[in-house]
Formats: sequence, C-alpha cells, structure tokens
Amino acid sequence: MTVEPEPGMPELVFDAGLPGFGDAHRFALVRVGGDDSPFSVLRSLEDEGLEFVVVPPAVFFPDYEPEIADDVAESLGLHSADDALLLVIVTLADPIAASTANLLGPVVVNRHTRSAAQVILDPGRYQTRQPLVSR
Amino acid sequence: MLVLTRRANQSIVIGDNVVVTVLEVRGDQVRLGIRAPRSVSVHREEVFRELAEANRAAASPASGSLDSLLALRPPGGKPRM
Repeated sequence: MTVEPEPGMPELVFDAGLPGFGDAHRFALVRVGGDDSPFSVLRSLEDEGLEFVVVPPAVFFPDYEPEIADDVAESLGLHSADDALLLVIVTLADPIAASTANLLGPVVVNRHTRSAAQVILDPGRYQTRQPLVSR
Repeated sequence: MLVLTRRANQSIVIGDNVVVTVLEVRGDQVRLGIRAPRSVSVHREEVFRELAEANRAAASPASGSLDSLLALRPPGGKPRM
C-alpha cells in the first residue's frame, strides 16, 4: 500500500535512494509541530511507515556551512547555493534532549526541481550524531 | 569476490551502466574515476556503511518521541528559519 502526498505538499525525488534505503526514491516533506516548529518529516511514498525527522541545520548549527562537491551540485542541477535547500536527519534519543543530527550526511534538495540526494561529507570533520542541544 | 588486475587508464564495467577507471597509481594509493547513472550512488565503503547505519537508527521514530522532540528548542530560544 502506498501513501499519497496531500495536494500541494512537495514531493522530493532521491534518484539513488538513501544509504541503507536504496529503493526509497519518492518522499513527501511534511511540516510537523505547527508554524513555530522547524521540524519536518521526510515520509516515504513507496514504503509505508518509513520516515525520517529532518530539520534545516541552520536552526541548531548556525556555523554549519558544508561545501557541496561540484559533481553533486551538477547531478542535482544546482547552479548556486540559493537553489539548494539543506536538511539534516535527526536521530531521536531517550531522553529527547540527547537527540542528534547527522551532519556527515546532509540531505541536499534542489528547490526548483525537488531532486534530492543525501551527500556524504568528510568524516574527519563531521559526525553522524551531533547533539542538537548541549547539556 | 571477482578479482581483476588493471593498470592506470584501464577500466572495469559493472552491469551495463557503471564504469570504473583506474586514473592513477601512486605509491599505496589508487585514484579511481567512476561513471554511473544518477540512480546508482557511489561512495567510499567505510563512510557509506557509517551513513547507512545512521539512517537505519534514525528511521521511523515512534510518534510519541516525535511529540517530545517538538518541544525541544534551539539554543537562544525561538527557532530561526
């Protein structure tokens, strides 16, 4: 059974899926928590129940400015930084304040075409589990 | 595992659409060029595995914990977008 996005809700296409989820290509990006919330859910349109919590990294990591490699920018059709929407995947923890964001593998979206990919940056520089808030 | 030996500027074809070329061999490092369609991701193995593990850990959180997350605020108070 597939999930259809509500009309008007942007559908993102990951040509190569995501690492670990290579067959998951189509996702809806759904805002959660109301107008005040920076969080969204990336919800699979092919695999019911598969979803990821995402957040624009600038909300919790204002100094995070990853460089997107030329070949990635080209395959996503990005001509400038303004074409791109950046999201990072959140791993929820218990207690919730220990939740982390994956800064090593941000999701890069072409705002115009909705083409998306999870990019892998330099593991010497970024972590997959960066705490959202410091204790 | 299929084992092939190549020199610099020789290539390997995988399936119909993936070509791996040895660009340069220098000391203990091999520089590889990969041509693949957009539907096929190509990554260094150790980082790919790390990312796959992180994605699996993050996938499909329980709805109760998502509600708790929404109460989390970034440092400085109101979230900026």
